[in-house]
Amino acid sequence: MVGSLKQARIAFVGAPIGRLVNLLVILAVLYAIFILATKIFAQGPSYFLQILTFGVANGAIYALVALGYTMVYGIIELINFAHGDLFTLGGFISVFLLPIFGLDASKAGTPGIILPLLAVFIVTMLICGAINVTIERVAYRPLRHAPRLAPLITAVGMSFVLEGVMFLWKGPFNVPYPNLLPTNGIVIGGATIGVKDIFVIVVAAILMIVLALFVSRSTLGKAMRATAQDQDATELMGIDINRTIAATFFIGAVLAGAGGTIFGLYYNTLVFDLGFSAGLFAFTAAVFGGIGNIQGAALGGLLIGLITALWDGYMESTWTQVIIFAILILVLVFRPTGLLGMRVPEK
Amino acid sequence: MQRRWYTAGAIIAGFAMLATACTGGAGSTAGGGGTTKGEIIIASDQPTSGGDASDGLPAQNGIQFAVESAGSIKGFKLTFKGWDDTVNGTHDPQKGAQNIQEMISDAKILGMIGPNNSNVARAMIPIANRASFTMISAANTNECLTQTFAYCEADTGTTPAKLRPNGVNNYFRVAAADTFQGPAAADFVVDTLKLTKVAVWSDNETFGKGVADKFTAEITKKGGTVVLRQDFDTKTTNDWKPFLTDAKNKGAQAVYAGATSGTKICIPRAQMKGILDAPYLVPDGGVNSQCIKDAADNAANLYGTVAAADANQNPDAKATIDAFTKRFPKKEDVGSYTFPAMDCANILIDAIGRAIDANGGNMPSREQVRAAVAATKSFKGTTGTYTFDANGDPTSPTMAIFQTKGSPLDWVFVKQFGVGG
Repeated sequence: MVGSLKQARIAFVGAPIGRLVNLLVILAVLYAIFILATKIFAQGPSYFLQILTFGVANGAIYALVALGYTMVYGIIELINFAHGDLFTLGGFISVFLLPIFGLDASKAGTPGIILPLLAVFIVTMLICGAINVTIERVAYRPLRHAPRLAPLITAVGMSFVLEGVMFLWKGPFNVPYPNLLPTNGIVIGGATIGVKDIFVIVVAAILMIVLALFVSRSTLGKAMRATAQDQDATELMGIDINRTIAATFFIGAVLAGAGGTIFGLYYNTLVFDLGFSAGLFAFTAAVFGGIGNIQGAALGGLLIGLITALWDGYMESTWTQVIIFAILILVLVFRPTGLLGMRVPEK
Repeated sequence: MQRRWYTAGAIIAGFAMLATACTGGAGSTAGGGGTTKGEIIIASDQPTSGGDASDGLPAQNGIQFAVESAGSIKGFKLTFKGWDDTVNGTHDPQKGAQNIQEMISDAKILGMIGPNNSNVARAMIPIANRASFTMISAANTNECLTQTFAYCEADTGTTPAKLRPNGVNNYFRVAAADTFQGPAAADFVVDTLKLTKVAVWSDNETFGKGVADKFTAEITKKGGTVVLRQDFDTKTTNDWKPFLTDAKNKGAQAVYAGATSGTKICIPRAQMKGILDAPYLVPDGGVNSQCIKDAADNAANLYGTVAAADANQNPDAKATIDAFTKRFPKKEDVGSYTFPAMDCANILIDAIGRAIDANGGNMPSREQVRAAVAATKSFKGTTGTYTFDANGDPTSPTMAIFQTKGSPLDWVFVKQFGVGG
């Protein structure tokens, strides 16, 4: 399968017409980059730095969600469509928990919020993890040996179930999320780097580093990588693959829960169907970086955040989505396995 | 085997429950009065459950109140029945088309009030037109629904003539068209706020983009400048900060948003905090409680235009407003189109009365009702006195301007003025 795809691609890229199309696409992208560069130059460095900050903060959130897609795909080759909604659910759960831990807008920006907020993060992450493990048990595990399409459809189904639950819980309206983080920032070279931006980037970076260390160093991480390579052989080695897969879903959901909470704290608004678009972009980020590849998902998320911010900030935002997906197509034509390469077992 | 029967039973019971729920959801009915000749139903179509419910429910309340207050007309019992055009949380033209077919198939329904959104109206009008079925909208403002302009075909894919295949107008409205709404906001920025540099964004929908374009044209005409213009896909956009930072760098003194509550109209307002301290102007799609919630701690200094008069400014309407507040006491029960929608329902009821007379006291035909609505002359409603022109537009439409003020913040009337006519 992979071999024949490779051949087809080489035949297309190599064919005269293919070469012409490629050349045109490359020229179009170069032209767009040139226009962008002149605009960036014209508007000065402080504005550029400002846009870059928004892009990195936005990208960090996409990256956290993308990790969940990529981990699940890496281990059982399932695109867990419900993951984006789990991210939204994380935000909803945390907005529910805030008053329980005594957090409201009146305490915004005070040092007293740090510990309760940490508690909200941990409880949200654990609840999300538990929900995702339940989803895996109910909707995916019984279908593990069914044709590939069956779990895909149950995943779409779970996505709608979660959206429906959130719709019934909070209604169709935008749900306000209290503005708890300090609204000031530090001025660097004329650009204001908000405390909020720094918070998002730092928390996301910590979570991703912990995840990377966990997967590469811990026994469970090793078991995950083994399960991804060959389930049967892993089982023969005495590893409980059900537990390993459940753990993967748990960790993915923990990150999504953290992502939802960060999104709420950063944008101060949530809506029940946020997960659809956020999930789509996060999934795109995962493919961008190379699905199944943890560093790739982080890089893909960051890139999508940056492209969105740069295009919104300098060019016409009507075209932002078009540009993201045009770049995705280009990357996949030249690197079908994504920027950092897929980590999927060869079959 | 027995287990299979249980399963089948459970499935049937499930469907039965679903069916009951659907009938319940289709609309509540109300009515009363001395009635011997039969029943006439006044239908409404509004987005009553989605992101636009903050506009749709208050409008539906106004219609329901009008029907309940009338109770009966010339021996016929009047009943209200409401339809919802929401699918997946937002107003949907196909659902609107399906709703109007259901209304037309019920012989007791002689006309309907609605819809709330212009794109939904565009799907409904041709279907209603073939059946000579009267529609009166309180809130549709797209000008191409009633008036022919060179750009209508290109911008909306249709023209008033195409929307009316049988050639006779069946669609009326009390709202001022968007040819007035965008310019009214632009005039307000230049003449009242004394500002000239504005950043404009839209949700890229028929209404939002249209009103933003007309705002831009008028402010340019008045010597102002649009320093930045962006159209967003609001389904996928969460971050307006790059746009707002760009606006600040380009010297914007105000921001105009062409969108609705369903397309995140006031979310950027919250994000303006710390970036750009300037007035934020919205069209009627944002003059509601949802906007104030979405703008969070930055909800002050918001301005909005509404394409109908404010009933509170009419001393004759006070008794009606008090009675309405008694029937619908909650703050979110009333919105900027509650009283215009109530007036629409009363115009329809008045016309049905005249049509009954014209038909010798018997149940009139839909065509008779349509002709009676078209012949409406100087009807005194809570929001003004209405006569329809040949297009179905009000002959003297009104624009009102509101501002967020007070504690807790709420929309407060600033001024209103007649436009066109």
